[in-house]
Parts: sequence; C-alpha cells; structure tokens
Amino acid sequence: MMLRGYRDSDRALLTGYWLPGELVGRPVADRPPLAEPTTVTPPADPTTEMCVVPGTAFVRFTDLDWVNRRARLETGLRPEAVDDGEVLLKSAVSHGFRVLNLHRVYGWVTPACGVPVAALRDAGFQLEATVPDAIWLDGRPVERQLWGAVRHD
Amino acid sequence: MTEMRRLDIAGGVAGLRAAGDQARGFLGTDPVTQNDALLGSELTRIGAQVYGHGDTLLGYLPNVDQPRQAYLASTSSDPDALRLFTAFLGTYQRCTSYVATVPADSVAVGAFDACGFRRIGMLRDHQYRSGRYHDVVMFFATGEDVCRS
Repeated sequence: MMLRGYRDSDRALLTGYWLPGELVGRPVADRPPLAEPTTVTPPADPTTEMCVVPGTAFVRFTDLDWVNRRARLETGLRPEAVDDGEVLLKSAVSHGFRVLNLHRVYGWVTPACGVPVAALRDAGFQLEATVPDAIWLDGRPVERQLWGAVRHD
Repeated sequence: MTEMRRLDIAGGVAGLRAAGDQARGFLGTDPVTQNDALLGSELTRIGAQVYGHGDTLLGYLPNVDQPRQAYLASTSSDPDALRLFTAFLGTYQRCTSYVATVPADSVAVGAFDACGFRRIGMLRDHQYRSGRYHDVVMFFATGEDVCRS
C-alpha cells in the first residue's frame, strides 16, 4: 500500500467515526447517531507528518520528536476499507522507520473497540502499558493500551 | 508550611533550566537538549501547567480524551509535594486519576512509588540521552490510592 503526502483535497479523509488518536482507527460500532464525528486537524507545524492512501485512510505521525527519534502514530480508515487496516499499519511503520528515520513509533489502542492484536503484532508492535480510565466512551471512562514498535538498527 | 505556587511559562522554563538533569523527561520536555525558547513553546503547545513547591517543580497536563485524568511530572523524590499536588488537582481541577511517564533512573520514581502510584507499563527506548536509548516507566494512581499512601 503506497502512502503519499497530504493535500488539501484529501480533507474528507480526516473526518470519521473512529476514536481520537487511535493507532488503528476503525469506525466505532454502535456509535450514537447524534455523536459528532472525530476530526483530525490538517498538519500545521513541524511536530506532525501526515500521509494518506487516497480514498482509503490517513496516517498521522504526531508528537514528532527528532531528538528522541520517536512519534505517536494514528490512522483513520474509511468504513469501506476496514479490512485494509493491517496493510496500512505495516506501510505506516515502514514509512516511520525508513522515510522519517524514527527509532520508535507508538500509539493508543482501545480494547473496548476490539483490538486487532494479530495485526499489531505482525506490524512489529508490542503491548507496553495499559492505562485505566484513559478515554471517555459510551458514558464511562475505559482503559487504553499503549503499543510500541522499536527499530533495531 | 511551603506553599504551592503556579509559575508562568517563563518561570516554568527557568525552573526546569535550574533543575537540569532532574527535569529531563518532565512532561516530555528536556531542558538539557532544548533551549529556553523551545521549552517555552513546547510547554505552551501541550497546554502544560507548572507549579513550584519549595525546590520541587510539579507539572500538570490534562488528558484531552478524559478531562478527569491528569498527566503529572515532578523533579524531586519528595512524596509530600506530590501528595499535596494531587490533592490540589483533585480539589480545583476535579481530577480523579493520575498518570505519569518517568525515566526509569529518575529521582522522581521514588516519589511516585511512595505516593501509592503503581507501575502500569514500560515504554521501550522512549528517551535518548547520554548516547543511548532509555526506557520510561508509566505510573498510574487514583485519587484514593494517593490518599491511602
């Protein structure tokens, strides 16, 4: 799957029914009909790198830290492309390690939304921490996990 | 009794600069590799608040996805300052739980351990300094956990 740089014409990809900041941003099932969709802001400063797969998904590296060579990764898939999550994740990690030359990529995963554990492990991620009450979902705080992938030079 | 005082961005930067090595990793900043302008812009960008209690600097950052949860940082091993700070945040910001990411060899680890925080994970190779990558410990506590400690 080929990533390319974000353009203004890709703005429609930045709004969807995924949770904010999710490593594998798949639309949340049973979301209340009046709930506002999540919107990701277009890149505006050097702490963010954004790529897209046209018509399919966005990939955002945020909190980019060039001293520590790390970034938090989040993605957002269109509803018709949820099966492409695994390939997208591998492409994103490859972009982070080979193009941005990062040492570490990490991201949030919310187990209440169904964790694609096999896809995460195949992309090189490991579970590093579980934070209780980390995000508000369905009227209550739920736990969130931090998964990280480290590049071994 | 030493009072807790909120510092403006310039005061926070000066405090972090003075704390030196003990402030490395303070809410994700690093006064050793970042100059004053960068430290100030980073604290502003993430929406951090810095407080002073004696010689200890304490940092607070709200979790935007869960406003009752706060990210904390400290520059000392003094558990009393941290306990006072969580009580302050519980009262004035309505925080009910606290998370901290602390370099594994930081002096602040002792403060979080003594305050009833429990280790919930380890971020591998999260911080680069002194020529190699270091792990960072993640701590968590509820307001009740801190009160009981």
